[in-house]
Amino acid sequence: MRFGKLSALASVMTAAVTLAAPAHADVDTDFANQVHVYGIYGPRDYNAWLAKITCERLGNGVDTNAEKSAVFVSHNLQQGTSTSQTWQFLAAAIDTYCPEQQPVLAAVAGPKRSD
Amino acid sequence: MHRRRARQARKWPALRAGVAVLTGTVAAVVVPATASADATDDYPIPHRVIVTACTAEQLLAAARDFTPVYYQRYIIDKHNKSPGVQQAAIDNAHYFFSLSPADRRAYSEQMATNFADPMTASWPNWAKIFFNNKGVAAKETDNCANYPPNDASVWD
Repeated sequence: MRFGKLSALASVMTAAVTLAAPAHADVDTDFANQVHVYGIYGPRDYNAWLAKITCERLGNGVDTNAEKSAVFVSHNLQQGTSTSQTWQFLAAAIDTYCPEQQPVLAAVAGPKRSD
Repeated sequence: MHRRRARQARKWPALRAGVAVLTGTVAAVVVPATASADATDDYPIPHRVIVTACTAEQLLAAARDFTPVYYQRYIIDKHNKSPGVQQAAIDNAHYFFSLSPADRRAYSEQMATNFADPMTASWPNWAKIFFNNKGVAAKETDNCANYPPNDASVWD
């Protein structure tokens, strides 16, 4: 009886630990999984840091628009990364680390301004 | 003795020529060590940094754009120092890049041996972004000419 209770408790705890794993994945891992979908690999921490730096540059005005941001990203992803992968990386970086910068991306996607 | 050897040399011009070639070889071996490029020109300061015409700010701007993680680490490290030490690092960098290549080479010799240098003592990695990594130095010197020479914001 007592053993039964214990084993039930143990299995609940095992389930809790097993199920918890995906829910507690950190943001950098989520980001890595996202860019893997686009075929962008390389060191996880490097990619995460590059994405965070990309956000910081948009925030402090080093990159004043998404094109400049994409140029920066393309210089620092592995050689052979395509233009579309570069933009996918940029979009994922903004979504993950600085969603407040999404208007910067929208400005590129929208109709060209006449200035 | 001397005269005899001279006379012998006159007798055998080939010997004289041989001595001349030998002297030339000795000179060739001795001279490059001090005068021109060899492998050791990269240590402790990379050759490209010694000969670059860029300012510290131009090199930092290139590092910011082409080796961003290395740059970010350096800037974080810098911000962890006291304001006085940070300013001293900037001043030291300005001083170094105001020197001629020959003087920078001399500075590098001195830097490698003078561990009592107060700048090095207070922040051993103060010039890491310029001196420590040949790959970073290559990217900096390849791209630095495209940046403004006096943009102090690259230090922040």
